[in-house]
Amino acid sequence: MKQRADFIVYWGGNPAECHPRHFTKYTIMQKSKFLPRGRKDRTMVLVDIRETKSVKAADIFLQVRPGKDFELITILRALVKGQYVADEAIAETGLTRETLDDLVHRMKTCKFGCFFFGMGLSMTRGKHMNSAALLTLAAEMNAFTKFVAMPMRGHGNVTGADVIMRWQTGFPFGISFNRGYPRYNPGEFSTVDLLVRGDCDAAFIIGADPGATMPQPAIDHLKRIPTIVLDPHITHTSKLARVHITTAPQGIAAPGTAYRMDELPMPLKPALKSPYPTDEEVVRRINEAIAQKPFWLPEGSQPQLLTTIG
Amino acid sequence: MAGKRFILNASRSSVQGTLINKGKESEEYLALTNTMTMLAADMVEIGLAEGQLALVRTEFGEASFKCQAGKVPAGMIFVPYGPPTCKLMGGDTDGTGMPTSKGWEVDVVPL
Repeated sequence: MKQRADFIVYWGGNPAECHPRHFTKYTIMQKSKFLPRGRKDRTMVLVDIRETKSVKAADIFLQVRPGKDFELITILRALVKGQYVADEAIAETGLTRETLDDLVHRMKTCKFGCFFFGMGLSMTRGKHMNSAALLTLAAEMNAFTKFVAMPMRGHGNVTGADVIMRWQTGFPFGISFNRGYPRYNPGEFSTVDLLVRGDCDAAFIIGADPGATMPQPAIDHLKRIPTIVLDPHITHTSKLARVHITTAPQGIAAPGTAYRMDELPMPLKPALKSPYPTDEEVVRRINEAIAQKPFWLPEGSQPQLLTTIG
Repeated sequence: MAGKRFILNASRSSVQGTLINKGKESEEYLALTNTMTMLAADMVEIGLAEGQLALVRTEFGEASFKCQAGKVPAGMIFVPYGPPTCKLMGGDTDGTGMPTSKGWEVDVVPL
């Protein structure tokens, strides 16, 4: 994308505020062998429900009506294929036929297109269906030109968590190990659902602050159960936890690997020393302590998880 | 004055990201996460003055926010994610693992 993307769409995201280096390092501002004039060789479209700071960087701003992203994507899929779309359906999205015809023309005639989509698409009504629709549109655009899609991730190194879980279990999140092998079922084994239903009786949280972001019923359950937090800072979660172990901040005082949004692993070298242990060291010591404990199932039971830790 | 239904969107900003380094208990961070932005005309319609507190209520909970006028679409409210928005969020994830964190229908009552 940095080298070739001449048509870039940010959908339901505000990179000027939430990913402030994205424009300059990876997309519209970059000059390359294939796009030597940089910004002048690229077209940027922003799709959002309101004018954010990212609008200033956009060539075209499409203000979609709230909750109508899926409808808009579906209309674009139809227009791309030359199918009939009723005026009323287009009007529902808050946009005009001329605007969408122009967008489709630009999408078809670009050399390399890219959709970047944010939480404005993936966490509003429709959720994963919205994301799936946009991914489908990107796939279908490849009948005309090169097109890709990529999510704009939220928290630091959340891509790393997904990548590691994927190559270790085959699934990115929402995984249960309680049968001794990984099972994947978002809505059943995902963190929010487990906490809201009260299914878990302990929580171990590393470098996250669900106490400031999750729904109140989930936070209330974290307060009820023994919650252990590893975090460099005092957070809303650390304040409700039974145990808070202060750890060295990753990338500043602790080494490791962070994954960029395009899943490229980046080694982190600590610039400072910290009196606190790293997350890795704390987890290793907890694992060693657990390994010393006698196995808790009756004799003859199949030990499943505890045998290979450490 | 009677409450009116609005669409509330929780969002993030660069200011919020910067303030995390100062601490989530800092006065600035708390002020930011307790402030909601809405259209000036909407504020007038429900009798809200700049800087006035308003109670925001969903079917799951309620929280109070300080109001400020901003350039947002009519009928919509924007507020940074934080403990107050957690109180408004329902626990159902629709089988996706992620709660709906934008586009809630809310009642707004001036305090």
